Amino acid sequence: MPDPIVQVSGLTHDYGEVVALRDLDLEIPEGVIGLVGANGAGKTTLLRLLLGLLHPTSGTLSVLGHNPQTDPLDVRARIGYMPEGQCLPEEQTAADFVSYTAQLAGIPPSEARRRASETLFLVGLEEERFRFIGDFSTGMQQRVKLAQAIVHDPSLVLLDEPASGLDPDGREQMLALIRRLSEFDIDVIVSSHVLGDIERTCDWVVMLDAGDLLRSGPLGGFDRLGTVLVEVLDHAETVAAALEARGIASAVDGRKIVAGPGDDAVERAVIEETARAGSGLVRMIRGSASLEDLFLQGGQE
Amino acid sequence: MTDQVIYDRGYRSYEGERRGPAGARRAVYKDGLRRILGLGRKARRKIFPWSLISVAAIAAFIFVGVHWAIGNIEESLREGVPTYGGLFDFYSAISLLFIALAGPALLIPDRTKGVLSVYFSRPLTVDGYLGAKVGSFVTLVGAIYMVPQLLLHLGLALIADDGALDYFGANLDILWKVPVVTLSYIALHGAVVFFLSAVINRTGIAAVAYIGLLTAVSGIAGGLSSASFAGARYISLLSLDQHPRIIRDSLFEDTVEYPAEVAGFEVWASVLVIAVLTLFAIWFVRSRYRRLA
Repeated sequence: MPDPIVQVSGLTHDYGEVVALRDLDLEIPEGVIGLVGANGAGKTTLLRLLLGLLHPTSGTLSVLGHNPQTDPLDVRARIGYMPEGQCLPEEQTAADFVSYTAQLAGIPPSEARRRASETLFLVGLEEERFRFIGDFSTGMQQRVKLAQAIVHDPSLVLLDEPASGLDPDGREQMLALIRRLSEFDIDVIVSSHVLGDIERTCDWVVMLDAGDLLRSGPLGGFDRLGTVLVEVLDHAETVAAALEARGIASAVDGRKIVAGPGDDAVERAVIEETARAGSGLVRMIRGSASLEDLFLQGGQE
Repeated sequence: MTDQVIYDRGYRSYEGERRGPAGARRAVYKDGLRRILGLGRKARRKIFPWSLISVAAIAAFIFVGVHWAIGNIEESLREGVPTYGGLFDFYSAISLLFIALAGPALLIPDRTKGVLSVYFSRPLTVDGYLGAKVGSFVTLVGAIYMVPQLLLHLGLALIADDGALDYFGANLDILWKVPVVTLSYIALHGAVVFFLSAVINRTGIAAVAYIGLLTAVSGIAGGLSSASFAGARYISLLSLDQHPRIIRDSLFEDTVEYPAEVAGFEVWASVLVIAVLTLFAIWFVRSRYRRLA
């Protein structure tokens, strides 16, 4: 793994009685990273710890080589943050607000105005940039939130539920924008409880559940978790029984068999047992496991 | 001639100057000025502040004009026309309304609209944010108090019989007295309006609460202070709006005897009340925003 952008060791954070994160050890690489978990899993707490807005109860963390507890301003100068909830001034134009947030990151006013214009163009609000934010639709407001997060050319952007409240079209457009950020050398951590969004957007996933780390790893390579869907000419029951005898879970539905979880060895077994049963293989498809399957398995492959 | 179009300008990385926390504070300060004045906001947000500023400016010119006109008729009649100390009283209503507008506008929308979560994700501390907001407040409210005084000072110098230079020389004390009184007004009113704006989530309600506290409550406290029960004299100190006026009167002409003076308190009691209120407001607002950040 190349140099991690985030390193977390023994991180615990509690809000009094409630433990939001428990003894987390984690290294997050460059790229588009998904942070998934149910509501209350600790995603937003982790993002706020990365920004130095919260202090850990115990443990250490490093973001882009800086400690957000001791150098919060250095960290924040290099990070963009898109909060989940309402965070926009309704009585300001998009151009004014995004320019202002660029100035808050230390960019001089004239350059801030220029970059605000360019960034709003990038997120598709070129025409609307001089309209008041309060007059925007939810989708447009989400774009303004993304624009303010990237206007100052951060090295890392933290996006908290960026597609929240969007219709399917708006969701696709937002995810496409997020995917594009890696083209601009901006690393992204996307927090979401919609696992499908993470699957389509990210290279790496960090799974949290009630404050515990379930899994941190690349999103590719889940295929071996999938079941193998087999259709045979006949003798499906015989083939399935043979597979069961080899320790491969199998379920029969007419001429179809669902075997697995499967990998290359399971596929070879299917071919051998089909031939041994004197049947013929009509088709065999390895279904990929979804992130949701993985999450439901507690992050264990 | 070409028919090619640019459909995607992409994203430009930034290698230029980054001004860090100082740049962030400057941005908050400038935004505070723009917000109070309604700049970059809808037209209705401009009406109130600019109306008050216009009235204040026009009134300042009228004051100078009255001094000049009366002086032309009979020099001794000018004694009856308010000057520096009286001008603070004349502007108290305008400044009360302006502060009721400015304080809530500076603090409440950022908090209720959730914008603080964006601001504090930048290289900006709570102290930097609040300090810049106070800076905006002091700049504009200070201007409301001091610009008319400056115009009056220049006007009186220009119409002085002995000439402007002699007038300036004879009134050098104005250069420190006016800022000191202005500071006492800003400190007391700022403390009250910032405290209320930190706990109330609606700008209109905060404005009404501020005006109510400074007028009705002060009036009631002033009334109760003359009651006969033990410790009643201390209630006179709760009549908040009198304290800057007592300081003003101690430096300029003594116009009225305020409840605290009737109850036997010296000017230092007023200085102490203003200092305690200001320190309490700083502590309270800072604590609240540290929890919010």
